[in-house]
Amino acid sequence: MKPVVEVSNLRKRFRLPLDRSTTLKYRVTHWRSASRYRDLIALHDISFDVPAGQFLGVAGPNGCGKSTLLKILCRIYEADSGYARVNGEFSAFLELGVGFNPELTARENVFLGGAMLGLTRAQLRGKIDEVFAFAELEDFAEQKLKNFSSGMQVRLAFSVAILAETDLLVMDEVLAVGDASFQEKCFDTFSRYKREGKTIVLVSHDLGALEEYCDRVLLLNRGEIIADGPAAEVTSTYHRMIADHALAAERDMPQELRRADPTQWGSRAVELVSVSLLDAGGRSTSRFDTGGAMTLDMHLLAHSDVGDFVCGLAIRRADGMLLAGTNTFLDHVTVTSHSPGESISIRYAIESLPLLAGGYIIQVVLQDVTGSHRYDFADPAASFHINNMGGHIGIVEMHGRWQVAQEQDVRSGAITQTAG
Amino acid sequence: MTVAVHDSHVLEGVPRSRSVFQRNLNLIRELSITAFKLKYTGSALGYVWSLVKPLMLFGIMLLVFSILLKAGQGQYEFPIQLLVAIVAWTFFTEATTNAMNAIAGSGDLIRKAYFPRWILVASSMTSALLTFTINTALVLVVTFALGQLNLSWLSLLAILYYLELVVLILGLSLLLSSLFVFFRDLGHIWEIVSLVLFYGSAVVIPFQTVWDHSKKLAYLAGVNPIAQIITDLRHVLIDPAKVRSMASFIGALEVVPILLTIGIFLLGFAVFARLTPRFAESL
Repeated sequence: MKPVVEVSNLRKRFRLPLDRSTTLKYRVTHWRSASRYRDLIALHDISFDVPAGQFLGVAGPNGCGKSTLLKILCRIYEADSGYARVNGEFSAFLELGVGFNPELTARENVFLGGAMLGLTRAQLRGKIDEVFAFAELEDFAEQKLKNFSSGMQVRLAFSVAILAETDLLVMDEVLAVGDASFQEKCFDTFSRYKREGKTIVLVSHDLGALEEYCDRVLLLNRGEIIADGPAAEVTSTYHRMIADHALAAERDMPQELRRADPTQWGSRAVELVSVSLLDAGGRSTSRFDTGGAMTLDMHLLAHSDVGDFVCGLAIRRADGMLLAGTNTFLDHVTVTSHSPGESISIRYAIESLPLLAGGYIIQVVLQDVTGSHRYDFADPAASFHINNMGGHIGIVEMHGRWQVAQEQDVRSGAITQTAG
Repeated sequence: MTVAVHDSHVLEGVPRSRSVFQRNLNLIRELSITAFKLKYTGSALGYVWSLVKPLMLFGIMLLVFSILLKAGQGQYEFPIQLLVAIVAWTFFTEATTNAMNAIAGSGDLIRKAYFPRWILVASSMTSALLTFTINTALVLVVTFALGQLNLSWLSLLAILYYLELVVLILGLSLLLSSLFVFFRDLGHIWEIVSLVLFYGSAVVIPFQTVWDHSKKLAYLAGVNPIAQIITDLRHVLIDPAKVRSMASFIGALEVVPILLTIGIFLLGFAVFARLTPRFAESL
């Protein structure tokens, strides 16, 4: 049987103009000077096949070429050489709600969004009640989309996106949208696809989701496939890559936890034996939610009696950026080793994680109070992922509150409106 | 009231129609209906505007050109000639102006969804075609009510001229929409070209007036497709015996505007096909 997706020696280069000239005047006055470009190779001659029924994940750091690959598969970009062929019909969810219009009602948007997927009005008419039931929006079919909350919009968009039945589904980070109960529905849908043996290509940063759903994962870095295999194997390669990357980034940064000598991990007078991350229920996990609790559980073994020492930790983003760091000394907590062979356990509890979706690593350092003697340094000591809940963007959850005040024309009587 | 019996936890997909043609047609319809709806949502009178606007336009044109400037003195049924021309011209400008932004204004769709890109151009023209249909119906009602409609079998030829207009608009739309992505000056250039075409195509004056004024000028104007289409539409729709066709002025040279129309269409098609792969990266 022919594979559903055939990619062979696919190469994509972007020409980024150093000076963008789209006006005629510029072209006329600068006709002699050749346009200057910077070439960016997004994909380096990559090849792979996806057989029918496979759930393929694509992972990699930002800028690795995974979105470009997806866009070429969906025929949005054209390859420079090689080819990406899809044998059969495909539907793409590169972003939810593409083509939706806020001025139209939910029902009209279903017809419009459905048409973008290749479904006709007649086909959709028989399905529309089910769509609204699934999206939990039965009472809002005739409301304009602009009056919907972002959660409602996303629920409608997801429900429309899964309407077209095709040979191949191509998805970019749209997993699990909306509130917790709708998220479960999304995951149920993906589990159903997996049971039904649909062919799916999924790009995601969420390694937990990739491990859970994918039969096989491709790891891309700088436009090349650096790992291709069973999900668990490739995600652990990716974790290692993130750690190496963080290590490399650390060398260039004068940070508190920077090692004097990268090859020296410390004297091991006190050794960090194990580190695990616990959720609110005390279970060990690497997946957390924004606003959820996380406890860092560390077990130490003293090889000599060093007396008071300091335990420090830092949280970094996958690309090495330092996000937060603290230590027992700064927080006025005393840790002491009294005798060799003593086992010490230290916990650091975060009540509410202020981080948004993404991959993070934790570094742990053990050193003396003056900071001149390093006992142990684990980099990374642990890594974790914050689940994608949709909504806010960036790294940090701000817990902000909006306030809107409006004043109308004074002559018609001032009206002040405040919303919290 | 119906009671929902389906399990709201599962939403099964629907297989697409096998016919790509049907799918594309459906998408063109949805996109053009949406564009038409959006034009009138939010206004108190809504769709009434789609009737009021052309009626006002006809009224003003008639007042200015026919009554005040007496542009068509001595011409047979000049007010009707003016109406026929205004409807065709409005279609032409609305369609080409819409088309200019059909690709450049849909960056989000083009970067995030796949469908044949010409559909955006086709649907921008279709929404202009909707306005055109309303205007034509209005003209028919008005002229029929005034008893000034003189349709004959020859009037069926109008269909061919309207088709020529559609082909011309499609060609220009493909050309303008794809080039505009890369050269934003085109918007201003096209405004000027439109103005030249408006006065150079004898829209608000009878072609006879140009002919009487200067033969050279008449030949120059006559080979442009808009002038030819409008003059010939007047000829077949109003009264073939009393309103002259373009061929009666410029003779065999009438093939020039027709060949130009076909040429513009082919050029537009080729340029659009050539530039399509670069849209997503340039928007």
